[in-house]
Amino acid sequence: MRATIPSLPATRTWLGGVAGGREESRRAARPARWFAHRPWLSVTAILLAVGCFCALIQGPQWREDAALATANLAFSLVFVFTGLMLRREPGQRVTAWALMLAGVFRCLDFADAWNGAWPAYTTVFGGVDRIFGAWALLRYPNSSLSVLHRRYLIALTAWMLAGRTLIVVTSTAQWNGYSPSSWWPALVPDQRLSDTLNYVVHGGEALGGIGLIVLLVIRLTRTKGLDRVVITPIMAAGIIAVTATIVSATMMTLSLSVTPNTAYLTESVVDLGIPIAFLVAALQRMLLIRNVTELTAQVAAGGDISAVRHALRSVLHDPTLDLLDTSESSVRDLDSHSPGRLVSYIRAGQGAPIAVVVADPVLARYRELFDAATAASGLALHNAQLQAKAAQEKLEQVKASRARILEVELAERRRLERDLHDGVQQHLLSISAGLTAAMARTADPAATAAFAQASEGLKAVLSELRDLAHGIHPAVLSQCGLGAALEGIAERLPLPVSVQGPPRRLDVAVEATLYYVACEALANVVKHADAGSAQVAVRAGESLLEMEIADDGIGGVAADASHGRASHGLANITDRVSALDGDVVIDSPPGEGTRLVVRIPCG
Amino acid sequence: MRVAIAEDSGLFRSSLDLLLRSFRTEVTASVASGAELLAAIRAGPPDVVILDIRMPPSFTDEGIRTAHEIRARYPGVGILILSTYAETSYATQLLDTVRSGVGYLLKDNVTDAEALMESLARVAAGETVVDPAIVRRLLERNRKPSVLEALNERELDVLRHMAEGRSNLGIGRELFLSSRTVETHVTSVFTKLGLSPSDTENNRVRAVLAFLRSAGT
Repeated sequence: MRATIPSLPATRTWLGGVAGGREESRRAARPARWFAHRPWLSVTAILLAVGCFCALIQGPQWREDAALATANLAFSLVFVFTGLMLRREPGQRVTAWALMLAGVFRCLDFADAWNGAWPAYTTVFGGVDRIFGAWALLRYPNSSLSVLHRRYLIALTAWMLAGRTLIVVTSTAQWNGYSPSSWWPALVPDQRLSDTLNYVVHGGEALGGIGLIVLLVIRLTRTKGLDRVVITPIMAAGIIAVTATIVSATMMTLSLSVTPNTAYLTESVVDLGIPIAFLVAALQRMLLIRNVTELTAQVAAGGDISAVRHALRSVLHDPTLDLLDTSESSVRDLDSHSPGRLVSYIRAGQGAPIAVVVADPVLARYRELFDAATAASGLALHNAQLQAKAAQEKLEQVKASRARILEVELAERRRLERDLHDGVQQHLLSISAGLTAAMARTADPAATAAFAQASEGLKAVLSELRDLAHGIHPAVLSQCGLGAALEGIAERLPLPVSVQGPPRRLDVAVEATLYYVACEALANVVKHADAGSAQVAVRAGESLLEMEIADDGIGGVAADASHGRASHGLANITDRVSALDGDVVIDSPPGEGTRLVVRIPCG
Repeated sequence: MRVAIAEDSGLFRSSLDLLLRSFRTEVTASVASGAELLAAIRAGPPDVVILDIRMPPSFTDEGIRTAHEIRARYPGVGILILSTYAETSYATQLLDTVRSGVGYLLKDNVTDAEALMESLARVAAGETVVDPAIVRRLLERNRKPSVLEALNERELDVLRHMAEGRSNLGIGRELFLSSRTVETHVTSVFTKLGLSPSDTENNRVRAVLAFLRSAGT
């Protein structure tokens, strides 16, 4: 394919309406460059720093429950790593920060092992990592939060921090399972109040969690196209993680059998699903780009615009996508007719646009994929155009060469007929005249008889020769026209044939073609049709010549034209007529005669 | 009889010249084209000119065009086209434009000196001559329904001779009939074929030929 196309088609894209018709939208950083050589250094450095911080901040936790500390460290590192990866995607900086902060704050949750002021801190701020996680889940892959989502996050944060602060100030460190040596701001210690607050606050948090699940499910059902493909694993992982958190928090609040650390460990492991889902989403984007290769192969085979449109719709998951030929009038005023749609012109090389893609603006987020898909479409369309052009040229060549062959044949027939006429025929005629003269000058009966015999023989030969010359090319066709020549055939045929010639002389090649077609068709009528009579009519219009040859024979010619007896003659007729850009129609119902109509453009 | 020949083929021309001289016919000119013939007969027009159809300069229908020219300049000169082509359209084209003293004969007739000399004489006398081979083909032509079935054998003979351009006298001589009998047959043929009687014998040839050509269907 590359061989036929010197350069890849260039695409130019803008957001119609949304971007006010600006031609070039800024090229966003590409996810595929994540793995370019440089970012590795900073990513490694940041991960090392975060790893050290998280390992140190958990301090005594390593002695108490090494498994949990390890899980927390892994949680932090994976979240931070995912955030670092996500930072490079357009509009995902905030989401990336939310993920990274969720990762760092998770380890901070376990700093209470140090005692001191940390137990009080973790009691109040122990759920901050969840808030950051919820933020990331609600925001991705958009570039901002919806009003509802923002209100939800603010309300959850306020409830969590205020409620937990109240719990802390109404309780002591011991009531919360910490050493009495810890610093604790027990302003109004009241066991009953504290217990009640504990149920209310954590119950509210659980309800907040359920609310988050509802919000995520709503997001999932409302999202369409590529976005849905990409966020599905993230939403699923989020729902599972939130469910796990609610369950573990509820069990702890209700002091059910599980020890806190087991619950935390389970939660950490389940939560790992979220960053993994983010990574899966990123991977999925790359897989989608790979699908473009498939698209290229798919459309290169079919090639027409509707096939390419279909392929683009399927590969970009956008059933509203439209692909228009730039020659269509609807393409004009596209900007004003497609407000808020993504409009992209497909070009082949440096030339004028060959097609326009109008798509869901959401696809602007998938620039890499969109550009690759439109470029592949451009390639396929351009290739199809080239193929069509080549086929057209080849067809023209074949037509021209067929017309040339016919011209040569006609010229050759005329030459042969002339040679016969001027040569052999005149020679034999002069011999005949000489014989007759000789006969007149002899009185010898034997000689007269011999001369008479020779003369009779010559006469027969001359008659045969005249038929032969007429069969090769009737001089009357060139000299008196098609009508006279057709009359000539009709007079020679063993069945009544009525002839209606054209009202005027026609082009030489057209007259010859129609004449030979009529000969061929009438020969078929005589041989196969079992007809009582036939008619030949030539009508000349302004731009079309029509010759109709009809008989009242047995019909049924078209049925076995491809393999039947008449097929050779019909093929000859079709060949001759198509050489002049004409067409042949045969109407031959069995038992109702045959009607052959030849149409040749003229003028 | 004085005859002038315009014939493209030198070989045939000289044989024809020889043949005509053998039958005591004076050949006043023997040339290769219509223009040369017109120049050659300016001094003294012959009784009959014999013309080939395809001649220089254009090698198409010079013979017929020369016939028109000669008829315009020398109305009394008979015109006999000697042609290689057994085409009815040539014959009728000629007869439609040159009304009398004209003939269309195939060159094959040089094997029959008598027929050739008779045709020359008839053309010189102002009659019309159509080659029997062409008439035979027209008569034998298939038609639907056969309008000629109404005619008896004698009437068919009369029709054939009319088509060949013979006068009533000529027909009577050929068929050994009195001119009165011939006249009766001619009237009968015209009635049976639905033709209106012609005022002259030349018009009669054209009417019969036109009928035979069109009655093919």
